[in-house]
Amino acid sequence: MIARRDLAVRVAARTDLSPTCFRIALATPEPLTATPGQFGMVACGDGFDPLLRRAFSIAGVARRAGITSVELMVKEVGRGSALLRRACVGTELRLLGPLGNGFTLSPGDGGPLALVAGGIGLPPLLFAAEVLAGQGVAFDLYLGAATASELLDVERCRAATEAAGGKLVCATDDGSAGEAGVITGALERRLTAGRRYARALACGPDPMLRALARLARAHGLDAELSLEEPMGCGVGVCLGCVVELADGRMVPSCKEGPVFPAARLAARWSQ
Amino acid sequence: MATSVGAVALANPVMAASGTFGYGLDLIDLCPPERLGAVVSKGLSPQPRPGNPTPRIVETAAGMINAIGLQNVGVEAFCRDALPLLRERGAVVAVNVFGARMEEYLEVIARCERETGVAAYELNVSCPNVTAGGMEFGHDPALLETLTRRCREATGRPLWVKLSPNAPDLVATARAAVAGGADALTLINTVRAMAIDAAARRPVLANGCGGLSGPAVKPIALRMVWEVHRALPEVPLVGIGGVETGRDAAEFLLAGASAVQVGTAIFRDPAAPLRIVAELERFCEAQGIADVRELIGGLQWR
Ligand SMILES: Cc1cc2nc3c(=O)[nH]c(=O)nc-3n(C[C@H](O)[C@H](O)[C@H](O)COP(=O)(O)OP(=O)(O)OC[C@H]3O[C@@H](n4cnc5c(N)ncnc54)[C@H](O)[C@@H]3O)c2cc1C
Ligand SMILES: Cc1cc2nc3c(=O)[nH]c(=O)nc-3n(C[C@H](O)[C@H](O)[C@H](O)COP(=O)(O)O)c2cc1C
Ligand code: FES
Repeated sequence: MIARRDLAVRVAARTDLSPTCFRIALATPEPLTATPGQFGMVACGDGFDPLLRRAFSIAGVARRAGITSVELMVKEVGRGSALLRRACVGTELRLLGPLGNGFTLSPGDGGPLALVAGGIGLPPLLFAAEVLAGQGVAFDLYLGAATASELLDVERCRAATEAAGGKLVCATDDGSAGEAGVITGALERRLTAGRRYARALACGPDPMLRALARLARAHGLDAELSLEEPMGCGVGVCLGCVVELADGRMVPSCKEGPVFPAARLAARWSQ
Repeated sequence: MATSVGAVALANPVMAASGTFGYGLDLIDLCPPERLGAVVSKGLSPQPRPGNPTPRIVETAAGMINAIGLQNVGVEAFCRDALPLLRERGAVVAVNVFGARMEEYLEVIARCERETGVAAYELNVSCPNVTAGGMEFGHDPALLETLTRRCREATGRPLWVKLSPNAPDLVATARAAVAGGADALTLINTVRAMAIDAAARRPVLANGCGGLSGPAVKPIALRMVWEVHRALPEVPLVGIGGVETGRDAAEFLLAGASAVQVGTAIFRDPAAPLRIVAELERFCEAQGIADVRELIGGLQWR
């Protein structure tokens, strides 16, 4: 396990990715390693509002000129994410991480990996794509969003996918870019046409994850889902983030997840 | 920084509160339990409990509401898996006990009596008593006195009763707990509260209501500690509710607490209890206070 730490980090850069999403790079005081699928708990302000830290998947760890920075991709949905969007370069924040368990990245029998991202579910999969490309493990990346402008960082997604010799498949709900319809539909069409994958790794809104779990079961495909159960502490002590498993146990997603094999989750995930 | 709660000696007056520090070992890398005054376990029942459906927590202004539903691994797993390691590390452990009926409290205590390394029991009496129509033990002084007495008869170890701020008459319940044989009182548990999603026209929590904690409840908790201290000046108190800084801890000591517990602050900063110890130490230095115990009950009333 990679040791977690509570780090004082500085906002090193921030760029808009879409009308609602942005990328933020946080320079860490010491080198840090993380696995795709792991996350960090960010203290977005320093008062009591917001009170709790916010969970964000790690989208990458970059090392440039001796400085390590953790990259996050954030969608502005409320107070914490709005504070991050407005944080000036140089602002000090606290980042507790890396936390939780990441995706299984080893190559498998039966084909390349399928990386499936919906909307702001992209960060852990972009991280996975870049790591896999570096290791020469083959994968296709399925990237879905509501509309063309919310397809995040297509350039980097394409670069990583092409470096690994894979395909980038985009889909939008409104058909404004890529295939029309949901991203799991795009995957389903390829599975039905005979495309085989060793494993699917996915992150996105719950309905997408459920659709993927159903699809995986129907096609006998192993799938790992990164869940976004709202979190209080991120470190397993509040029991606010529990997820029900197939064996009936309620386990903290921050500690036993956030990535779970779909087959381990309670039936409602694949019904 | 040494203090004591009745017969329980503490290296410093800061403990981790029940339900916010797991079983004491989850944060050993960030907040080693042996460096705290004491750690209070998650509430334990005779059998494991799955807890409530989700959502179980929601953030509110300067606070949070939880309805975890007392999910826990059960006393057996605690004694087998956590307690030996806590003992080995030299942590001072208070076991938080709850039950849906009196017998369950007694079962948890009986199981822990077979173990060394338990410094005290803390009774969580903010649970509905299923055999008395769901009335919370801590809301009825007569019921609370009986519960405390039966637990008292079951152990020679220090017994703390954790008071609910939702009881109709706080001082009456405090007196009842002491009459039943409590060595100390800890207060407060969470304040019954609710959050509503207006667009959905539904409560935010799956359980409907829950318990409010965090900075929002601190003024209420301070007032309650002060009231109970004034009514029962001889009884050691442990103050809880929104303690975020060393200064907050000092305020609770002044109101009459011998020690404090830190809960929600741990979610914001897993090393909060250690930071609070250091801040309290600096506060004492700056104020020229040689012994932190000088603060206890030191509030000057105008
Ligand atoms: C393991 C994990 C990884 C995550 N990774 C990312 C990421 O990489 N990028 C990203 O933008 N977001 C991510 N999220 C979601 C992110 O944590 C929430 O969007 C964030 O907490 C919202 O905070 P806020 O203060 O901006 O909004 P709030 O003011 O707290 O809430 C605004 C709205 O967002 C909803 N919301 C709150 N928490 C969550 C949540 N956990 N999931 C979904 N909706 C929520 C609320 O119901 C409310 O409607 C992740 C969540 C988890 C648990
Ligand atoms: C998520 C959560 C779980 C809790 N679980 C318990 C519990 O099992 N037993 C108990 O006596 N108190 C429990 N409490 C109450 C706390 O121990 C404490 O009394 C309360 O939160 C007020 O302190 P704070 O403001 O520092 O959090 C819990 C509180 C929270 C926030
Ligand atoms: S977020 Fe607190 S236990 Fe998972």
